[in-house]
Amino acid sequence: MHIPDGYLSPQTCAVGYAITVPAWAVAVRRVQRVVRNRHVPTLAVLAAVSFLVMMFNIPIPDGTTAHAIGATIIAILLGPWAAVLAVSVALGFQALLFGDGGVLAFGFNCANMAVLAPFVGYGVYKLIAGRSELTAPRRALAAAVGGYAGINAAAFAAAIEFGLQPDLFHNAAGAPLYAPYHLDQTIPAMMLAHLTIAGIAEGILTGGVVAYLQRANLPLLRVNHAGVAADGEKAAAPRRGRPLRVALGAVAVMAVLTPLGLLAPGGAFGEDAPEDLDLHKYGLSAVPSGLNKYNGFWHHALFDGYDFTSDAHPTIGYIVSAVVGIAIVGAAIFLITAAVRWAAARRGATRRHETAEQS
Amino acid sequence: MSEQAVDERVQVPQWLLQKELAMCPCGCIGKRKKGGYLRKTLNGGAGLLRQVMFSDDTARQRGLLQRVDPRVKFLSMIVLLVAAGLARNIPTLVAVYAVTLALAAASRLPVGFFIKRVWLFVPIFTGIVVLPATLSVVTHGDVVLTLWHWHGRAEGFTSQGLTSAGLVVSRVAVSISLVVLLTLTTPWVRLLAALRSVGVPRIFILIIGMAYRYIFLLLNTVTDMYQARTSRTIGAAKHDGGARAFLGASGGALFGKANQLSEEVHQAMTARGYRGDARTLQAFRLTGFDIAAALCCAALAAAILIGDHFLGN
Repeated sequence: MHIPDGYLSPQTCAVGYAITVPAWAVAVRRVQRVVRNRHVPTLAVLAAVSFLVMMFNIPIPDGTTAHAIGATIIAILLGPWAAVLAVSVALGFQALLFGDGGVLAFGFNCANMAVLAPFVGYGVYKLIAGRSELTAPRRALAAAVGGYAGINAAAFAAAIEFGLQPDLFHNAAGAPLYAPYHLDQTIPAMMLAHLTIAGIAEGILTGGVVAYLQRANLPLLRVNHAGVAADGEKAAAPRRGRPLRVALGAVAVMAVLTPLGLLAPGGAFGEDAPEDLDLHKYGLSAVPSGLNKYNGFWHHALFDGYDFTSDAHPTIGYIVSAVVGIAIVGAAIFLITAAVRWAAARRGATRRHETAEQS
Repeated sequence: MSEQAVDERVQVPQWLLQKELAMCPCGCIGKRKKGGYLRKTLNGGAGLLRQVMFSDDTARQRGLLQRVDPRVKFLSMIVLLVAAGLARNIPTLVAVYAVTLALAAASRLPVGFFIKRVWLFVPIFTGIVVLPATLSVVTHGDVVLTLWHWHGRAEGFTSQGLTSAGLVVSRVAVSISLVVLLTLTTPWVRLLAALRSVGVPRIFILIIGMAYRYIFLLLNTVTDMYQARTSRTIGAAKHDGGARAFLGASGGALFGKANQLSEEVHQAMTARGYRGDARTLQAFRLTGFDIAAALCCAALAAAILIGDHFLGN
């Protein structure tokens, strides 16, 4: 999954850095706050561990071996932001010392394996682990599934980055200038290998380490699990999702999935324009008059047909439409979450008021 | 890196660094068998040491690129990578590759080793990966060599597919050559200092520098754990649940040791007056030679882009 230089265009690589540099900036600030001036030795040692974890050959049930990236296990032990920095440094070593992964492509390699993988893996882990005890077998299982999901998310992102190249960059004769495969070829190729082999390796490592630490080194597991009960302790109150965070999360998921629209062949059923209807297929002799009358009733859409350049630049039109759509849906989710929170807070206040009056 | 530090690092036994005679890379004589996870991990660690130590050797030789200031070299590499990335014709990329070979020879790198280091694995792997893309099934276009017919239509290699494959493979080879030229001619510590002076934040440089130091310490821990396991194993290492449990345990133990190590290192740093920031020595001075090198690089990048433009799209 380490993308070498030459597979992605320099323009695409610039986008990779545009994603990763802000993530690094936030990560440095967050990690400094958590571990204060201990961050340099802690992160340095973690980066070294992350690098070595990529050297562990993991026996897969069918008799082959594969190696993991270890992003999820670091996220579970010290938080996803620490994982961002540790895996980035490890990837930097590989790019500069061993030519494994490109220098221009370093931005996207980090976006996939050092940003997306730990956050997806950690999110899945938190979701499955729920409020179970620190020593519960459910946590080891959650870690294994989290690791599996994290590496597959990274592979999926890499497949999208490869698959967009031939559509965006080709010469006058139509020869692709960079990675030559389309999305419908890159996604199955990448996902087959990662769903079956690499994902299992990451899952075995992540689950195995958590299971071992539950038995042998609980203090280390507790570093990033403040407030999680172990063996009958009382758990702290859970944190509620903040509206902005929920909205941004939803927007991020949609943004990652946007390019999938380019994959879809043909059109959706029932969305054809009247002149595209296959009348013969439905046993009709003419377009129904009602359909004719009300079709095109509303002509004032901002991005008519997901486009605003009257088909001069279909790809740009599609992407701009997507970005605007994502922003609007994100804003809607923000408002809904804020309203739900406001209602909950109001109900809580009324209840407190009533209790106070009764006593 | 000082001589003493290099010597300190060599703790993996010499027999691990040598390739065993009369043994195939998967590590068995006679019958073909997949290499066990233990042996693969041990070999990986030994290979890592060998590669890094060789880089330090070549970086200390007196060649052309070794004389250039690391900052100039780093920025030149980025400029040339972008220029090669923007090139749209195979002849341009082949010409740039010839220039990298000439630079390797002028820097007293063993040219055979340089070619092997660049081509082994990534460009060859790329060649295999893009092979199906030369067919009309994947890349539509003008069929130049017909292999079969499908519903009366000729299918085979397309000129577009072949162009695309040639472009990708040559661009990958040029890009890797440029990076390898930088890393083989620059000692690691000087490269880090160069990264600092081109604007990489100090905290990253500190982390990278310390991580590099601890990779070798922790690598020893890993090889020790695996060596202990191999010496306790009678017969072949099994691919079973026990192996996976051992792996989880050794991963967990590594994290535990690393955590303890970072505590100790932090205490040692605090004891020596560390308060959360660090000062670095800035000893770089640009000479006329460096400025000439920078101008040469700019001229080369311009030549790549202009020449490529004349070759057409």
